[in-house]
Amino acid sequence: MSARADVLLWAQRVLGRKGATSWQILEIPAGSGADVAQEAFHKIARFAHPDLLRRTLPPDELELVTTAYARAAAAYQELRGGGRVSTTRMKPIRDAINPASPVATTTVIPTSPSSNRAVPADVPANPTQMMNGKALIYYRKAELALRRGELTAAVLQLKMAIASDPGSVFLRSALGEVEAEVSKKP
Amino acid sequence: MAVALGIDLGTTNSVAAIATQTGVEFILGARGERVHPSVVAFPNSGGVVVGSDAKRYRLSEPHNVIHSAKRFIGQNTRAPLVQLALTGVRYTVVEGPNQQPIVVMRDRRMTMPEISSHVLLHLKRAAERQLGTPLKDAVITVPANFTDGQRQATREAGRLAGLEVLRLINEPTAAALAYGFGQDREEMIAVFDFGGGTFDVSILQLNGEVFEVLASEGDFFLGGDDLDRALAENLAAELHRVLRVDPRPHAALMMKLMMGAEAIKMHLSDNEAAEGEIEGLDLPGGQVGTLPFSLTRGQFEELIAGYVERTMAVTRQVMIAANIDPRMISDVLCVGGSTRIPMVRRQLAEIFRREPNIAINPDEVVAQGAAIQAGSLTGGLTFGTGMGARDAVATAGHSPLAQGAVTLPEITARRPVLLDVNPATLAIHTAGGFTERLLDKNAPIPIERTRVFTTSRDNQTRVEIDCCRGEARRYTENEPLGTLLLHDLAPLPRGDLKIEVQFRVDADGILHVKASDQMSGQAQEAHLQVLGAPVSPEYPGDVSGSKR
Repeated sequence: MSARADVLLWAQRVLGRKGATSWQILEIPAGSGADVAQEAFHKIARFAHPDLLRRTLPPDELELVTTAYARAAAAYQELRGGGRVSTTRMKPIRDAINPASPVATTTVIPTSPSSNRAVPADVPANPTQMMNGKALIYYRKAELALRRGELTAAVLQLKMAIASDPGSVFLRSALGEVEAEVSKKP
Repeated sequence: MAVALGIDLGTTNSVAAIATQTGVEFILGARGERVHPSVVAFPNSGGVVVGSDAKRYRLSEPHNVIHSAKRFIGQNTRAPLVQLALTGVRYTVVEGPNQQPIVVMRDRRMTMPEISSHVLLHLKRAAERQLGTPLKDAVITVPANFTDGQRQATREAGRLAGLEVLRLINEPTAAALAYGFGQDREEMIAVFDFGGGTFDVSILQLNGEVFEVLASEGDFFLGGDDLDRALAENLAAELHRVLRVDPRPHAALMMKLMMGAEAIKMHLSDNEAAEGEIEGLDLPGGQVGTLPFSLTRGQFEELIAGYVERTMAVTRQVMIAANIDPRMISDVLCVGGSTRIPMVRRQLAEIFRREPNIAINPDEVVAQGAAIQAGSLTGGLTFGTGMGARDAVATAGHSPLAQGAVTLPEITARRPVLLDVNPATLAIHTAGGFTERLLDKNAPIPIERTRVFTTSRDNQTRVEIDCCRGEARRYTENEPLGTLLLHDLAPLPRGDLKIEVQFRVDADGILHVKASDQMSGQAQEAHLQVLGAPVSPEYPGDVSGSKR
């Protein structure tokens, strides 16, 4: 059945492109706008939407096509305005410290200070929740400073935060990180 | 050919239908009714009673009658709105495993999916009686803004009822499908769905057989129930004044007022005033009282104005989200019983500068769309089941199915393609208390996105990935979904470890999160168990640490 072969070939094309742009995934000219993206995605949906294939494809092939379709959907979403959201997104603290990070998409997963413990119930919630109010204000100021790239200002604010909440392991490790960044600077 | 059932599982009422080549056929109750109350009673005399028969126990045994289960299904018991809604029911609900709500009735403990499964089973059996054939496959509709937990729980209810749930589809999408199927329309429509317990409004682009949801917004704690309660409280105050009894602590008395309020509300949709009395009020002390009432439509509108204004605010909001002007909308579909209220229709007309479409039957159109999708998925729409279509849908010529004369398009060639959307922004917690979005609200589903993250400390051997739902940049301002754990990671300098986090929302709108450690040589995966969702064998709670 040629329709089946066509859709499988399409899926392999989509999945085979590592690091492809949204335009490449949708197979439209680079720089195309939302209208072109919508037209392309509707065309894809007409032959590759998993609902249309659930009775004709075996499970493994259906999974392959579903994955390709799901990635095409993400590409379409980005081109029709989903990307607008990410440009206004606040950068995670890690990116601010180290803008020359080799992996552009790398961000930091927070770990609680006691994260080496094995029992999830023992792990404190969000560390910022554990801080007292005054420390939190200084901590937020430190974040702002980091986002502006003002490392020394951030160190000062973090020290103020620690003075307000001397018991916070989280703040101390944050200070350690920022100081390490300062020492790397020429 | 297998027949598949389309089910609109509502807060107050449910409707089921099947699509045949000649039209849509509704599943009828014992008295020939198309609408089945979503009410389950466990009377003291024993057994389980469902539907209109169960409603009879509302007065005699209000504590044994479970209604509005849809308000709690798949919800986290600790959510503030759930706690608030629980004050409005007379049956007992406690927190169960995974923070899911559990109904306690005498010596029985039941999950919300179990309660809803009784409603689904009732419909399944009615359909089997009517069609004379066993049924297994079904498409069930859910509100567009139902979360993944609510969707998983609805699927679970279907499974418990012995149904193979082919697909969950959003109610407004189903309504649009019933409206536009086989019509080759090129237009943009709005679906305003104001039901018994939920409200949402969606903007759809119809492009031939493609039905694309552009945006959907809603409030799943706003519905006809709230309007009834506003009026019932007004009646309660009146009763307190006239009969010198405060009815609020008395369950049966309040239930009677709620039923009176519902009747008055419906009367006022067609009449300018309602006057009469609520009889047979069993007052404490053994007396039986009568409460006279007299209410104009204007007075009722004052009582509900706040709720109606909220729906209109959401409607304006969804048009901003879809980046469209009301003039681009060529039709406004009214779905759900609450859209019969003249005030609602009037305000809708003001926003869209056109009269909403009242030719469709707001109670039945969703089940009709579900039936069409069910027929499309199984291919059962091809040849007749031997049953004639019974003048199925009052859509005034909108759907060819209504006429029972037009042959459906060839299934393999022209099947409807539903592009439903992800109901909420999904993100993970990153350093500094922020969130990193992986999937946007209103993105088309199924959708998948993978991001690479790393560790924040040297020699970190364990990471926690907190997943949340919501728009806020601060993690704590969003709704937590659950946490994935990866442990026994290779001790590496911070930033060197690569962790892939993959979010996938399937075609049912259910979230699957996978985190894997790409560096340690032995890829480790963890899957998320969403809080409030039923604990299912398919996605076991904590499989973190299982090596693959």
